Amino acid sequence: MKNKYMFGGGIIVVFLGIMIYLFTQTSVQYEGSFDRIMQSGKTFKATGSWIKERNYEIDKQSKTFSFYMADENGNTMKVMYHGTMPNNFESSTSVVVTGKYHDGVFHATDILTKCPSKYQEQPMQKANS
Amino acid sequence: MIGNILLTLALLAGVFSIYMYYLTYKGYQNTIKLARYSFHLTAIAVLTASALLLHAILTHQYQYKYIYNYSSSDLPLGLLMATFYAGQEGSFMLWVLFSAIIGLILLDYTSKRGDLEPRVMMIFTLALAFLLVMVNPLLKSPFNYIWSQPDFIDLKNINQSYLSLPALQSFIFSDPQSNKQFIQMSKDLYGVLTANNISVNNFIIEGKGLNPLLQNFWMQIHPPVLFVGFAMSVVPFAFALSALIKNEYKDWVKQALPWMLMGTMVLGLAIMLGGYWAYGVLGWGGYWGWDPVENSSLVPWLVGVASIHTILVQKKTQEKGSGRFIKTNLILSIMTFVLVLYSTFLTRSGILGDASVHSFVDPGMTVYLFLVIFLGLFIVLGLGMIIYRWKYLTENFTFEENVLSRELALFTGSVALLASAIIVLVGTSAPIFGQTVELKFYNELNLPIAIIIALVNGLSLLLKWKHTDSKLLLDDLKFSGIASIVLTLLIVFLGSVYDIMLVILTLSAAFALFVNGEIAFRIFKGKRSYLGAYIAHIGIAVFLIGVVATGGYSQESQVDLVKGEKVSTLGYDLTFTGYSPIDNGKKYAFNIEVSKNGSVRTAAPVMYIAEFNNSLMREPDILVGLTKDFYVAPVSYSEGTEGEQDHNHGIPMTKGQTIDHEGLKIVFDSFEMPKDAMSSMTEGKEFRISAILKLIDGSKETIVKPSVVISSGTQKYEPVFVKEKNLKFELTNINAGSGQIELLISDIDGKKESGSKTAAKEVLTVDASIKPFISLVWIGVLFMVIGYIISAVRRSRESVE
Repeated sequence: MKNKYMFGGGIIVVFLGIMIYLFTQTSVQYEGSFDRIMQSGKTFKATGSWIKERNYEIDKQSKTFSFYMADENGNTMKVMYHGTMPNNFESSTSVVVTGKYHDGVFHATDILTKCPSKYQEQPMQKANS
Repeated sequence: MIGNILLTLALLAGVFSIYMYYLTYKGYQNTIKLARYSFHLTAIAVLTASALLLHAILTHQYQYKYIYNYSSSDLPLGLLMATFYAGQEGSFMLWVLFSAIIGLILLDYTSKRGDLEPRVMMIFTLALAFLLVMVNPLLKSPFNYIWSQPDFIDLKNINQSYLSLPALQSFIFSDPQSNKQFIQMSKDLYGVLTANNISVNNFIIEGKGLNPLLQNFWMQIHPPVLFVGFAMSVVPFAFALSALIKNEYKDWVKQALPWMLMGTMVLGLAIMLGGYWAYGVLGWGGYWGWDPVENSSLVPWLVGVASIHTILVQKKTQEKGSGRFIKTNLILSIMTFVLVLYSTFLTRSGILGDASVHSFVDPGMTVYLFLVIFLGLFIVLGLGMIIYRWKYLTENFTFEENVLSRELALFTGSVALLASAIIVLVGTSAPIFGQTVELKFYNELNLPIAIIIALVNGLSLLLKWKHTDSKLLLDDLKFSGIASIVLTLLIVFLGSVYDIMLVILTLSAAFALFVNGEIAFRIFKGKRSYLGAYIAHIGIAVFLIGVVATGGYSQESQVDLVKGEKVSTLGYDLTFTGYSPIDNGKKYAFNIEVSKNGSVRTAAPVMYIAEFNNSLMREPDILVGLTKDFYVAPVSYSEGTEGEQDHNHGIPMTKGQTIDHEGLKIVFDSFEMPKDAMSSMTEGKEFRISAILKLIDGSKETIVKPSVVISSGTQKYEPVFVKEKNLKFELTNINAGSGQIELLISDIDGKKESGSKTAAKEVLTVDASIKPFISLVWIGVLFMVIGYIISAVRRSRESVE
């Protein structure tokens, strides 16, 4: 018997097997279309932007932070994050929330905000014509 | 301008050096000197360029785009110097700088060891040349002027005295969203300024500044160490390739080994410095979060560690007879560097944009393509050479190992490390395909691997080379076996560790600890230079025990601290005593008195609004202890202005919690509810839930039961009056499921109310947590570092033999 392949190969095969299984179990897809998120009910990483006009709410009692998000097509959904507002939420340009949509609300377990790092990305208008 | 010229010169000299080394390898006699001269020229040009960049940073020359973007005049010296590598351009520059210095050492090292130099230096310089292309003026040079590309500059950073110039007016813009005014810097404006005799350096007088997240002590340490590790990772690659070029596979392992040990040590240290940074300053709550950036430097480290172990086998076995694992060693040494490049690609190409807390800017298409070419070329070069020699390698070096041999045990350990590397790599690469994995993926897969690694770690040292008598093995196992079982039982019962996987991990880590400890103890009186491996192994064992404790048994709770009121959580009494400005009023420290068993310490987490990105920044504070850290991360602070909080909100309490009301201790003991509460609720029948509160006044204890009556959806709260104390206890909210209530305490005559209305003027919310034995994690890392250094010294002595 080839001992090297038994031990080494054994470990690799076993762990790759478990890995593939766990990957299918724990992988979460990025999704930019809220329609699909609302229909599916699976866990997604929803990407979109915070609708500033509709503000946000912090409920100190239930320790949730909720706000409205819009996707590229203008679909909106309410997001409830079970935690505190991230540091740079107000200046964020895009938001990625991880969670599931049920009962009319996207319940997020994780939230990631992206901030503008360059002024060029902001719309500019000429002051003096 | 001189900076860019120097960088270009460095690149040209580097390319020339590669060619001269190639000719030397081909047998030319006079070319070696030229090769060395030109490599030195490259190094000198790089060193000078780096000094120029540093000088430009220290003298605030904002005409350089890079310095304008990442530096500012108000930074203290240490952080100002750290802006050297705060952005992509500068961090590549730092990589180039360390590569150049390491190249000089490597040149000296290889020139003293046979005919190594031309082949090793040729490959090493090739890698350096690619890094130099990265910082050339067309890609990511830190020396590019700010007007080379149009850029908007905040008006506040401009010298105000020039703003009235009529010629400037057409360059001023305003952004209606942020209500800020900008000036558009471009070649046109540069022309206007030059025509008016204004130097750009006088025109732009302040930079954008350093991201406040990076403004702390660790920013000065972690990135440089990491880039030394990156710069060293190319050395084993160069050695492996030089062996493949010559088709001679014996000497390179002992020559490369000290470099691998040092490189792996530095990279590992850098990773954990980053971990400490995240834990102690950034307030991520832990030292490891499986973040893509952390992961992508962990993967090459794991492969590097695996390669060290299989290389030891080859080195040992080829002393008498034929070396083992020759192919494995070549492949692993090549993969370590390839994975460093892959890591760079993942973190620098912007491909992880949505997945990482380290928000990296998209560097643009050219840089992306260049990174792909850089990575691709080195994969093709490394693996191509292996394929080219594959037939020779398999014909000459295929062996079989005995089951009970150290060779096989080391191989098994390395494979386990590789399995871990593959898992982390797959998880980290998932965002490329629009997926990500949950943290569970990493944790659940790496736990059994850690067990295998710890077991093999101990076992391999009890096994002899080639073959071990099983009776002798059993004899050797006695001490460490029994000792580790005893230690594990102690940990299990004292620490109530009942998770079976964690118990097994503890056992195997304890086993590794005792096997190595015993050997280290025995050889301590003899050859101390041989201690390295055992010390490093003790380090990993201690580290793993620390991981079991913090990973499995950290406790967390979020509490609202009303100023002046004592709140008990996790066995500590916390009192928020107020905030005070620190750092010239730029930041605020929130002082919390933390008392336990009579001893009082102060935790002072920090919060402030950073002007840089207009965000709330939070910094935790840690009360470090021998057996546990008490970690306080600030969440929010409210002054409780009128109308913000509902009148009817009481003090939130969780089951078991104690609060203090004017010297009276109030313990929320439990709920009292009818057994059929659930069915009553669903049927809409009337039922009552009471909160049992113990009032402790000195030695006197009374029990009160404020309650709520629930019938078909309506809730009626029934208060309790305690006449002798003139107090009224009323629930304002109840959540039996999570064990929480809100309690409103007021005087019966209604004068004073101690709910949110009067007392909750200043509320600080914090995440408090207990991290048991996190000190073991740091101690373990320290041991590993020391062990690696001792080994590296020993192996570098052996490499000349």
